[in-house]
Amino acid sequence: MTLDGALHLTSAMMALAFIQQSAEHLRPAARLRERLLFAPRLLLSALLAASVGAPSLGLDPAIVTLALAANHLFILPFFNGPYNGGADRMSLLILLCLTCAYNLPERPWQELAFGYLGMQLLLSYFIAGWVKIANPDWRSGRALRDVFLFSAYPVGEDIRRLASRPRLLLAAAWAVIGFELIFPLTFLSHPSLMAGLAIAALFHGANACLFGLNRFFWIWICAYPSILWLQERVMG
Amino acid sequence: MSPFAGLRLLMPAIVPSWRFFDTVTASPRVDYALLTASDEPVEQWREFRPRPAVLRLGTMLRRMLWNAQWNENLYLVSLAERLMSAGTEETAIHSQRELLLRVARHLDRRGSDHQAYLQIRLRLVSRADAAARVTSETVYLSGLCLMAELLTP
Repeated sequence: MTLDGALHLTSAMMALAFIQQSAEHLRPAARLRERLLFAPRLLLSALLAASVGAPSLGLDPAIVTLALAANHLFILPFFNGPYNGGADRMSLLILLCLTCAYNLPERPWQELAFGYLGMQLLLSYFIAGWVKIANPDWRSGRALRDVFLFSAYPVGEDIRRLASRPRLLLAAAWAVIGFELIFPLTFLSHPSLMAGLAIAALFHGANACLFGLNRFFWIWICAYPSILWLQERVMG
Repeated sequence: MSPFAGLRLLMPAIVPSWRFFDTVTASPRVDYALLTASDEPVEQWREFRPRPAVLRLGTMLRRMLWNAQWNENLYLVSLAERLMSAGTEETAIHSQRELLLRVARHLDRRGSDHQAYLQIRLRLVSRADAAARVTSETVYLSGLCLMAELLTP
């Protein structure tokens, strides 16, 4: 995958994810001020998708990503930080890396900016696994039982009942920890990375269904082209 | 809404921590009460947007594309956590106001009286014992706010 190809694919995917996120803030239940912040975000995201999907239109993704970054300088204070926790952090990280990659003048700096996104994606899994294995409650399965038992995340009371299946949750906890810790090893070859990303996407899909974390699913897969490009650049 | 505040809030995105679910601690819930007079005692607290008993697979899949209300619920959890950790007075004021505005707006769309008084409380839910029973403790009680004053455009 070329740098330009990976940049354009990431831009198009992020633009679609931003459109989905922004549309949720434009519903009539949202306050006018909120809608006024997200209407331009949706429009700019559509322009970004058009800039990479239809280059003949002459839209410059460098300018559109800069405008999107400026838009977020007003969105962040409105919510006094992220609206949707880690999903917003990843959204901003992707946007900032793309903005730098499109606007920096030299190829090596562009590669560094985009490679940083791929590295952070790898770290996002490894660090999440590291902090879990360091916690005795995760190793015993109790932490995952507590997630189902009383956390705010299970989307239905029927899903809460999984808390009464400790052996299943112990196995699930170790499957998650194991996968997150092993993920950096998948970077060693293209097929193993593809397999790792497919499993990771299934993991995010399960989180979206069980815990309502739909934004995590869409935004994390937006960063996948960056790690595929980085793997080829470093290992290829 | 200063863009300089936006720059400060942007920093954690540049070097994210990624410490997802490192510990599972007591979890906040938002309850509300609507009162007809400012001196009326609260007789019944209601959980704000209680989760359904069963969520069908089709609904889960639909929520992959449209999950606005649930994502707002997650934001309310973040606001409650920020309010309880009370980093700064500015954060506490923002969190209280956003919680009240969002609860009021939701109730208004369900036809609540604009002249009613809204009060919210935050409960922390946690594991009570090894037998996996849960307990909750009230940790925050707002003042009474007239619904009409919370229904900003």
